[in-house]
Amino acid sequence: MSLKSYINDIWEAVTTTAKGMRITARYGIDVKEEVTIQYPEQRGPVFERFRGFLANDVKTCISCNMCVKICPVDCISLEAVRGADKKMVLVSYDVNIGRCMYCGLCVEVCPPKSLTHTGGFEKSMVARDEMVLHFIHEDAEVIRQRVARQVAEAAAKAAEEAKLAESQPKPAAPAAEPEKK
Amino acid sequence: MEQLTALIIQKVPALAVAPWAVTLLLIGIVAFIILQFAMVFAGFGTYLERKIAADIQGRIGPNRVGPIGLLQFLADGIKLILKEDIIPTAADNHLFRMAPYLIFTGSFAAFVVVPFGFSLIAADLNIGIYYVMAVTSLVSIGVLLAGWASNNKWSMLGGMRAAAQIVSYEIPVGMALIPAVLIAGSLSTQDIIRSQGGLLGIFGWNLFHNPFSFFSFFLYMVAALAETNRTPFDIPEAESELVSGYNTEYSGIRFGFFFMAEYADVFVVSALATACFLGGWQIPFFNAASLPPVWANLLSLGVFMAKALALVCVIIWIRWTLPRLRVDQLMRMSWKYMVPLTFFNFLGVSLWVLVFKGKGIPQMIASIFG
Amino acid sequence: MSATIDQTALPTQEMTLNMGPQHPSTHGVLRVILRTDGEVVVNARPDVGYLHRGLQKIAERNPYGSFMPFTDRLDYLASMNCNAAYAWAVEKLAGIEVPERAEFIRVIVCELNRISSHLISFGSFTADMGAFTPFLYAIRERERVNDLFEEICGNRLTYNYCRIGGVSADLTDGWLGKVKEFLDYFEPKIDEYNNLITYNKIFVGRLANVAVVSPEDCVAYGLTGPNLRGSGVAFDLRKDEPYSVYPKFDFNVCVGRGEKGQLGDCFDRYIVRIDEMRESVKILRQAIAMIPDGPVIAKVPRVFKPAAGECYFRAENPRGETGFYLISDGSANPYRCQIRTPSYVTMNIFEKVTEGLMIADIVAVIGSFDIILPEIDR
Ligand code: SF4
Ligand code: SF4
Repeated sequence: MSLKSYINDIWEAVTTTAKGMRITARYGIDVKEEVTIQYPEQRGPVFERFRGFLANDVKTCISCNMCVKICPVDCISLEAVRGADKKMVLVSYDVNIGRCMYCGLCVEVCPPKSLTHTGGFEKSMVARDEMVLHFIHEDAEVIRQRVARQVAEAAAKAAEEAKLAESQPKPAAPAAEPEKK
Repeated sequence: MEQLTALIIQKVPALAVAPWAVTLLLIGIVAFIILQFAMVFAGFGTYLERKIAADIQGRIGPNRVGPIGLLQFLADGIKLILKEDIIPTAADNHLFRMAPYLIFTGSFAAFVVVPFGFSLIAADLNIGIYYVMAVTSLVSIGVLLAGWASNNKWSMLGGMRAAAQIVSYEIPVGMALIPAVLIAGSLSTQDIIRSQGGLLGIFGWNLFHNPFSFFSFFLYMVAALAETNRTPFDIPEAESELVSGYNTEYSGIRFGFFFMAEYADVFVVSALATACFLGGWQIPFFNAASLPPVWANLLSLGVFMAKALALVCVIIWIRWTLPRLRVDQLMRMSWKYMVPLTFFNFLGVSLWVLVFKGKGIPQMIASIFG
Repeated sequence: MSATIDQTALPTQEMTLNMGPQHPSTHGVLRVILRTDGEVVVNARPDVGYLHRGLQKIAERNPYGSFMPFTDRLDYLASMNCNAAYAWAVEKLAGIEVPERAEFIRVIVCELNRISSHLISFGSFTADMGAFTPFLYAIRERERVNDLFEEICGNRLTYNYCRIGGVSADLTDGWLGKVKEFLDYFEPKIDEYNNLITYNKIFVGRLANVAVVSPEDCVAYGLTGPNLRGSGVAFDLRKDEPYSVYPKFDFNVCVGRGEKGQLGDCFDRYIVRIDEMRESVKILRQAIAMIPDGPVIAKVPRVFKPAAGECYFRAENPRGETGFYLISDGSANPYRCQIRTPSYVTMNIFEKVTEGLMIADIVAVIGSFDIILPEIDR
């Protein structure tokens, strides 16, 4: 090692260190550079497209099952029965957010756009079954019975009407069995 | 200490029956104060470190506990005390327990000769500098023990590295301090500071005494950084390679001891550099002795702490800028760069003192102008 | 600077060390079995597989479109690139024409993601070397990219933005302006990093001449991406096997120059990434100027069943060549999906280059190869 490279080494070490220290000092003094968001009090922006927890507007949901089919991790489960007006009536619609990866595929395919992402991302729970979000709060059995009653009523009504219209003694189609999906 | 004892006995003659008790009590009080100071400083050091690191990195740092987060260190301390003290089953129980105390003692004993103020010093030993060098060597034994007793290969590597590093850097540290000793003609820290007073203001400092002592200051800072295992020489801890090295297996308050010792070390290093090169508690253009003793002490304490804290900040600033050396590079740096350079400086200062009869450049310039 | 062991010296004992799977510097759950003589590594054998999730099998169980979110998890620091690569592969398989705007959007997000991925690589590398501050600077810049991505696709890490035939949604209003703003902000930062750490004496000392990989070895072991270019081989799929709209842009292929030591050392691999960020900025500026209007997704049937056949598509990802080999049997699910990931291939050469290094160098080597574990284990 020649003396020149020896001194050069020292010189380089000192100058490059000084350069770096100048930059850190500048950041250290400049308080405007602080980027921390004091989270619970301050919040960052939540963008419109943010994919938070799922929410289903069960009134507009047509129980088409598209979301269930596309979900790669099977976290949506729904049960629907055919109602009196031939439309499907949801009996239960559950999303397991413990499994969901918020990929947004289900929201994209939903034809009436009833399934949406909310901006929510804060949740804590102590039991695993709390991770399942229920969107139908009524008891499944109650709905099933109500729908069956409605269907039966409608069928009876239809039969009566048919009897009146054509005065034929034969009743119309039997009351539809609750259909499971 | 004897004077103080004599003073007290003079004031309260009833105590004359047992002068040794008074001395013992005084020693206890002083030791307690020093220990408290060291602990609080260690806490404050962590706070300072975190705050400065945060500032540099564009963050905010601790700000929840107490005003602007000042009490964070208390929260940390309480947390460490309440944590379970885990001793690995395979560890060497006694050595494992002993190591933190050795390290702790090594760094805290150095506070004895730290000259806080005009007459604020626990013991003005006439071998002050030598004493510091000696007691801080205890740290290397502690670190080696910690690494060995943990029975963890990473810890052992860390301990080995630390021991090798501390031992090799002790030489440049000692050599870099010698210029101050030569100029003052004494090993006592107070004498060294007194030699830097006078009417020259900051030019009375050893830093400006001659070119060699000027470089000695920087060499000392670099070598001392290495001796205290601070970045860029923190290879014994190297959390990204050795997973924290010798203190990997420690938890709870034992880990806290390592932590406190580190910050105590940093303070001792800064304090020594202040005392030896930056004029210690000397107030520029002002003779502290001309004031009533209480004021002189308070003022000089303030000046000393300001200087030392500034150096602590610089050390922290360096830590958050530089990457870490590799172990072979570290050793090369010690033996190929630090040792020859400090020896060269040592020779230079010796010659200077011999040739110019201990006069510094500022002094000579001053004498030219009358 | 490999240290040699003097055989005549005191007899020493080799030590076996487990580096990982929980080690701060193995970038995840890589396990390296080290045999060391003191500080000198005699042998370092990587042991992979701690993060195996069977992604290739999952692909067979899912329809083509539903596999898209899983490609996010391939290389979580460059999800956009993996998304796009998979989409391109499926499109090649099915012969789907993608609208031009969608291609441009893909290129823009891919290059942005390249920047953010290289930022993490740079940051974590410096953190491994002991300088923690650049890491936080890098993270700070990356947050801005994440903000940009969140605005168009709704997520910050697992973007799932590309779809077969295009992208999931058009850019929001003013988004391109924000990208431009980011580029203006970001470009000077690269110089700042160089001043802060790249040319720092200690940093250079840690990297120069460490783990030199010769160009021949690179080719023989199948290294790709910056690791290959770091050894001076100018091979970039964006140039040499152009796909999408890359031929429209003017950019350079960065190669290592042996600036601080031998060609192909850790420093060269590192500096290639820094240079590539500049090139990405260049591509982005051109893409923003040239982006056309139009639809962002092609008409693809809901139940998508490509004709039986097979295809291999490879794309230049931040870590190298990511390839998807797809076989279709005419059903809605792929018959087979083989994924070639650059990090996995890189691990092959690991044992060879680490011989005789110090323990601290192992960290440098891992960082300079910029491996990412989910890619190694898939
Ligand atoms: S967001 Fe993805 S994972 Fe979650 S329910 Fe929808 S499709 Fe399934
Ligand atoms: S896709 Fe939409 S409409 Fe269909 S079942 Fe799901 S939520 Fe209901």
